[in-house]
Amino acid sequence: MVTEEEIEQVAKLMKIDVHDHKEFVEKVHDMINYFDILDSAGVEDEEIIMKDLPLSSLREDKHIPYDDKLIEKLNNYKGSYVRAPKMI
Amino acid sequence: MEGVKKGDFSAEDFMSATIDRIKNIDDKVHAFLQINSDAVEQARQIDKKLKLGEKIGACFGMPISIKDNICIKNSKTTCASKMLENFIAPYDATVISKLKEQDAVFVGKANMDEFAMGLTTEFSAYGPSRNPWNTDYVPGGSSGGSAVSVSAFECVASLGSDTGGSVRNPASFCSTVGYKPTYGLISRYGLISYANSIEQIGPITRTVKDTAFLLNIISGLDANDNTTIDNGSQDYLSEIDSGIEGRKIGIVKEMMGEGIDSSVLSATNDAVSRLEGLGAVCENVSIDMVKYSVAAYYTITATEAGSNLARYDNLRYGYDFPVEGFEFNSYISKARAKFGPEVIRRMILGGFVPSSGHAGKYFLKALKVKSKLTKEVNEAFKKYDYLIAPTVPILPFKIGEKINDPVSLFLVDINTVMSNLSGIPSISIPFAMSNGLPIGMQMMAKHLDDKSLLQAAKALENTVHLPEVSI
Repeated sequence: MVTEEEIEQVAKLMKIDVHDHKEFVEKVHDMINYFDILDSAGVEDEEIIMKDLPLSSLREDKHIPYDDKLIEKLNNYKGSYVRAPKMI
Repeated sequence: MEGVKKGDFSAEDFMSATIDRIKNIDDKVHAFLQINSDAVEQARQIDKKLKLGEKIGACFGMPISIKDNICIKNSKTTCASKMLENFIAPYDATVISKLKEQDAVFVGKANMDEFAMGLTTEFSAYGPSRNPWNTDYVPGGSSGGSAVSVSAFECVASLGSDTGGSVRNPASFCSTVGYKPTYGLISRYGLISYANSIEQIGPITRTVKDTAFLLNIISGLDANDNTTIDNGSQDYLSEIDSGIEGRKIGIVKEMMGEGIDSSVLSATNDAVSRLEGLGAVCENVSIDMVKYSVAAYYTITATEAGSNLARYDNLRYGYDFPVEGFEFNSYISKARAKFGPEVIRRMILGGFVPSSGHAGKYFLKALKVKSKLTKEVNEAFKKYDYLIAPTVPILPFKIGEKINDPVSLFLVDINTVMSNLSGIPSISIPFAMSNGLPIGMQMMAKHLDDKSLLQAAKALENTVHLPEVSI
């Protein structure tokens, strides 16, 4: 059985604020409990089918010119500086 | 669009009438998040090309709505989320480029559940769409706006996306055709990702022929999506009237069980009788893993969504939100408060089910169910040409009726997720009405048998005569 504290911990790690949302956490709890049905599927010995993707089918990593001026799409300025979220 | 082609009326007249229709009724059904203010002018340009005798694409100015998770260059693509409220797409999705080449006109962006997470369109951050057959009822989802726009004559066709039934479910609830192609048949380049391993773009139209017409345009290999497959430029329209005489059809037992509405069951039995009348042989077939498919589906999609939605942190994608007063992590948490409740629930699920200590119980087991289900489906297709089941086992329900019970909403997906998990093509066609609400019938075929599936769906469609929506 999954506990609500475990769910709150995962939410915190994922940088999602769910404090004081008891009903919300309960719903997630109900959803995870529904997934317990997978225990009775009897698939323990089943192999997972993975599709091989040869490297040759991947797109070539090359520069593609882009005509639009991205700088003009920025709209958060302070004076002549572009503002960006603080990283640290 | 035959009328434009023959010169009976102009593309501009048709587009103007379409825009008037949207203006007159969309406040009742809320199919659209944005309307293309340039649509009439674009139609006028097509008329000009026609007059000058220039080459015109196959769509002749066809008004098409586009689900708001598919990018159209220089237009808003919000995914019905406040997180992307002002996001302007910098490029066209491949399906959009292909439709533009064929002179389609995009009439507007269709409402949807936020980030395609939902099956009623109630989880749109901009308010729910409403079922045109009864506006107190949900239209299905997540491509609800797309299905409503087609059903209510606000456009000729629409593109939606189907991760677990998100094209077929609203098609069924709104009495339109909804198509989920073989995985890889249509490029996903420019579709904002939810669960990459199983989602597909699919058409919503009023007829099977219109679906085949659009599939001819939008299917095929794409260098920008290496999951696309070569379909040999198949023509889905040719031989569409081939019929189904002598074909074998399996009726999926697990999709007709507990909880099915009696009118849906009766409609399915009627569909089977009609198919037999057309010369098909129908038998019951059991696909045991269907029972576990919804849990596997939500586990896999939540895991992929948890990864895909990590980019909405206001550093890479997001909205203007002042940074003063926050440290790094709390800034992201606060910015993410703009996600709606269903998206947050699924992100948390997506963090939980593949996490250390839980992955073996949930995620790996879900992948094993997916593998076993695919084997069972392939086994069934050794004996049968098609499978049949109702698209949704219940009738459309009232707006708000199930919104607070996510587990009961899960079960609405039980008949549709199998096609996504196994990658097979699947179609929902309008089949019956019960108490003024539509019932859709779902047919499925084996991997890459899309052409044959459309032929079977057309044969069944020919037996159906339903009223048009009166809104």
